[in-house]
Amino acid sequence: MNARLTTPGTPPWRPALQRGLARGRAFVWFLLKTLLPLYLATELLKASGLLAWLASYLAPVMGWWGLPGEAAAALCAGLFINLYAAAAVAAPLGLSWQQVSVLGLILGIAHSLLVETAVVRGLTPSYKALTLLRVGLGLASGWLLAMVII
Amino acid sequence: METLAALPAALWQGLQGGLILCLEIALVVVPLLFGYELAAAYGIFERPWPRLKPLLARLGLGPGALVPLLAGLFLGLIYGAGILLSLSDEQDLPRQERLALAVFLVTCHAVVEDTAIFMLLGGSALAMLGPRVVLAVGLTAWLARRRKP
Repeated sequence: MNARLTTPGTPPWRPALQRGLARGRAFVWFLLKTLLPLYLATELLKASGLLAWLASYLAPVMGWWGLPGEAAAALCAGLFINLYAAAAVAAPLGLSWQQVSVLGLILGIAHSLLVETAVVRGLTPSYKALTLLRVGLGLASGWLLAMVII
Repeated sequence: METLAALPAALWQGLQGGLILCLEIALVVVPLLFGYELAAAYGIFERPWPRLKPLLARLGLGPGALVPLLAGLFLGLIYGAGILLSLSDEQDLPRQERLALAVFLVTCHAVVEDTAIFMLLGGSALAMLGPRVVLAVGLTAWLARRRKP
């Protein structure tokens, strides 16, 4: 975004590639930090049987979206942390493409709520209503999609 | 005790699976980051794009909202948050336009990365992205129409 700040002699792509490299490196580090621990934790919870036990309580609710009870963990990770966290939790669950699509749609609309609500707050005073709208729209459209494809 | 024996295997599987997923996501997102930086350096997000003007007007957005809209749509709410906030202040966007922008962007932002992550897990791009775009455009247009009698 700071194209105007570069010195007139250098072509714009050079600093852009440098910034891309820095961003890429930071992103890979962020990815490893977020994804690996959650992926490991999910595998361990799965192997220990704890996940299945928790899931048995959530299965009736998650069933509205055609999702197994285990997917509630991925949903929470996405809503409160971010989509990379949700992917780390969802990947070991062995969901079908339809289930991944429903989860992806719900979370695409409503995710990283803690951080993003703070951003929206800077844009409009109606940020609380907008956050509720996101969660509502996400759940509603996910439910509709599940009705159609699952 | 049976479960205890399964734990080392789960640990190994988690490490392997986690690293592979990291690699897959990085292979998609890192090139995108380079692309965005290049696009930004050549001013793609700051161009006036006159053809989009009538479309924007339908959404209740003036020409000043285009830069934050493009930034939010492609760069994401967090990644582009700095741009979004500073620009809507800078261009003195009216309160109504800020609300319209927020309504559009909360439902539909960072569309490329978001969709790519779940496509890697097997999701359908059409099923995940289509409804988001329809919702964002529909809601914003409805809001704009309701405001103008």
